[in-house]
Amino acid sequence: MHAASLAAAGVLMLSCAVAAAGPRGDTARLGLPEISAAASRAQVDLGRRLFMDRRLSRNGTMSCGMCHVPEQGFAQNELATSIGVEGRSLRRNAPSVLNSGFNQSYFHDGRARTLEEQAWGPLLAPDEMGNADRATVVGRVAALQDYPDAFRHAFGDAAVSEQRIGVALAAYQRSLVAGGSRFDRWYYGQEEAAMSAEEKRGFVVFRGKAQCNACHELGRTHALFTDEAFHNLGVGIPAAGPEQWLEVRLAPGVTTRIPHALVRSVSEPPRKDEGRFEVTGRPQDRAAYRTPTLRNVELTAPYMHDGSFATLREVVDFYDRGGNPNDNLDRLILPLYLSEQDKQDLVAFMRALTGANVDELARQARAAAAQPATR
Amino acid sequence: MSPARFPGRRMRRGLLAPLAAIGIAVCAVLAPLAASADETCNSPYMRNLIRGQEDYVYVWTLGVEGMGDGSDKLVTVDVNPSSKQYGKVAHVLSVGTRGEAHHMGFTDDRRHLWAGGLDDSRVYIFDVYSDPSRPKLVRTLSDLPQRTGLVGPHTFYAMPGRMLVQFLSNSKDHGGVTGMAMFTNKGELIRTYGMPTGSGGDGYGYDIGINPKKNVMLTSSFSGWNNYMMDFGKMLQDQEAMKRFGRTMVLWDAKSMKSEKVLDVPGAPLEIRWSLNQEDNWAVTASALTSQLWLIKQDGNGQWQAKAVAAIGDPAQVPLPVDISITADGKGLWVNTFMDGKTRFIDLTDPEHPRQTYEKVTGKQVNMVSQSWDGTRVYITSSLLANWDKKGENDEQMLRAFAWDGKDLQPLFEVDFYAQNLGRAHHMKFGSNAIKAAYEPLDATLAQNR
Ligand code: HEC
Ligand code: HEC
Repeated sequence: MHAASLAAAGVLMLSCAVAAAGPRGDTARLGLPEISAAASRAQVDLGRRLFMDRRLSRNGTMSCGMCHVPEQGFAQNELATSIGVEGRSLRRNAPSVLNSGFNQSYFHDGRARTLEEQAWGPLLAPDEMGNADRATVVGRVAALQDYPDAFRHAFGDAAVSEQRIGVALAAYQRSLVAGGSRFDRWYYGQEEAAMSAEEKRGFVVFRGKAQCNACHELGRTHALFTDEAFHNLGVGIPAAGPEQWLEVRLAPGVTTRIPHALVRSVSEPPRKDEGRFEVTGRPQDRAAYRTPTLRNVELTAPYMHDGSFATLREVVDFYDRGGNPNDNLDRLILPLYLSEQDKQDLVAFMRALTGANVDELARQARAAAAQPATR
Repeated sequence: MSPARFPGRRMRRGLLAPLAAIGIAVCAVLAPLAASADETCNSPYMRNLIRGQEDYVYVWTLGVEGMGDGSDKLVTVDVNPSSKQYGKVAHVLSVGTRGEAHHMGFTDDRRHLWAGGLDDSRVYIFDVYSDPSRPKLVRTLSDLPQRTGLVGPHTFYAMPGRMLVQFLSNSKDHGGVTGMAMFTNKGELIRTYGMPTGSGGDGYGYDIGINPKKNVMLTSSFSGWNNYMMDFGKMLQDQEAMKRFGRTMVLWDAKSMKSEKVLDVPGAPLEIRWSLNQEDNWAVTASALTSQLWLIKQDGNGQWQAKAVAAIGDPAQVPLPVDISITADGKGLWVNTFMDGKTRFIDLTDPEHPRQTYEKVTGKQVNMVSQSWDGTRVYITSSLLANWDKKGENDEQMLRAFAWDGKDLQPLFEVDFYAQNLGRAHHMKFGSNAIKAAYEPLDATLAQNR
């Protein structure tokens, strides 16, 4: 029955969810491949509301959008690693969900294959949205008076099911296509003036001296800036030897060093993160993480799976010194000997990768969150 | 410490004290007093002050998963030495959910006690008047984030016939940009006020303190849900999170509720205490991260300024000053420092040059401190925030009562909140059996006229 209604909805609707992005949808597709999703606009609208609805968490405090904040590039700028329901610590930085419809795998370790599958991860994780099981979520959404119409429009009838929630959330995220950046207009749109000289020089460094495109790939007709593979850069591997002191910022311009013993007295036990190894069990995958896209990267600081770099400049400096050497360091990661000019240009180039419609997507998301929620 | 500073010392504890309290409470109903407070840290608009022996300490207690029903609780402790239950838990009221219980505040008539949850943003209204020994939950506001966009109701400040609530966060991104909301005493939302983000404002909020004579309201600034809900150790190591602490106080026109000036007070300024001395026109606050005591005062040109006037402990060690409690004469201040578990007395005789005159380790971790009006009794509790409290054996949860003779804190009694399956002990407010009696003549008149 679900399959039938899904198919029906699919036939009625456009083959591409990008339509939901509004008048600039077409521009926003420039530089990106076709996305093969049979989602309807109504499914996208429903998914958007679910994504922004805090009532989807156990105690009404967390929505998807609390960690993938629309105004923060659908990521989180104010935290290195996320915290979930009741403040539970997550090990990793919340990545942007912009352009996530193009991913071949999800999460920093690639453990999920589809967006439909991924969505139930945070909904049920005890440290994210904390729901006991799928039936609880389905029951809660079904009891909310503001959803039956939306489900009817999206699926033909008002029934709420775990599959429909997953489909709607996935449909919405696939609609978050954010290309048409200044780089796209210059490189794929042949608009000579779209990028500055500095940004163009940065692109030369990106593909030349720095070989960033070995992993952050781009093609002749479009660029996702990822090879969909997992690499060890050494991010998150602690320096050898016990650390005695932690440097803590107390106020602008005021820092102090406190002993780690003091930090431990107020810390829960640290949790290991072994990256791709947790999925494959292959020793060479230790501390390897998925190559993320670089689209919209200027909006999604802090960077890397653990949010350990505050700025793009810090990231460039990290690559320049050859990453963080360790037993499994990717062989493509080598000292780069970039000049100061190269580094500035590279950063400028990455800032030219911001989608034309990101503000519009954020506005749409916020408007969906503001819909009157009758209990 | 001269006895004159502690007028209450001359008052006998025991039977006389409650009688005195009744007398004062009755007077307060008939002729409400201007700017003054009991346990010295309430709104100046509050009536029915307890100036003698308090009968109860209400402790707003955070539920702990797996402990009892795991829910937040209003715990009533009998603190009257003449009572058979002295030093014992008299009543426990569970609210049925766990939402990061934090602060409380009385309505101006002292009939109701409002209490908030920083996580689930619920506000509970307890009747502490019908039977002060058994508070009753009369209303729960559970949809404030949806209606106001604000998260984390923190300070509950009595206004004439109103409650002003300062929030800490927002429902958009759980950051520190927030606002205040005004309610009727019954809990009807009237309107909200955003914390200023222009002219140097960071938009953050924490506490409220009003000086009615000067028509000045001060607010301070802490941090959003992301930080106050985060494991403390994780946060110290999270460089992005550490950038998100308040660094301002805001001066408002208290009548028009318009912000007038943003004061630069870096390092998360928390509780605001105006001097209760009628002659004084200054307030103090402590910045938690930078461990400074700040004085907020008008300069020679009548301009309000904030300046750091003393360090609390050794700021480099981050002692984390948390609650402060000012004496009724404005000449002294209790300061609890969470990390080293110390309760400190600061001499404020010259507020421009405060001096620490006493300190004692009162717990493995200490947060709130409240004193009786006469300054002879000092109560402390242990919990700061569920995920900031110390771990393992240092996670001691208690209410401790001390006698203060101006020289030393002497233990009176203690309630172990873990041993009694209660949870984490946080904010305290005093209760008095005299409250009911105080209202009887008024209620009788009202009933007759009805
Ligand atoms: C508590 C914060 C939090 C909440 C709530 C949350 N996420 Fe996430 N999200 C994260 C973090 C952290 C990761 C990375 C986790 C990892 O790699 O193990 C992530 C990863 C993802 C990814 C993978 C992106 C990629 O490029 O690999 C998607 C898609 C996603 N989340 C969607 C959602 C949806 C849909 C919801 C709501 C149902 C949601 N998230 C709720 C924090 C959160
Ligand atoms: C060997 C493959 C590889 C090469 C070469 C490479 N990267 Fe990366 N890049 C990655 C991986 C893998 C990550 C994620 C690592 C992590 O999360 O710990 C990453 C992350 C990043 C990020 C952070 C993105 C985010 O959203 O957090 C930036 C920015 C970045 N790379 C830029 C560059 C630049 C600039 C270059 C060239 C100087 C470069 N990369 C070269 C694989 C590579």
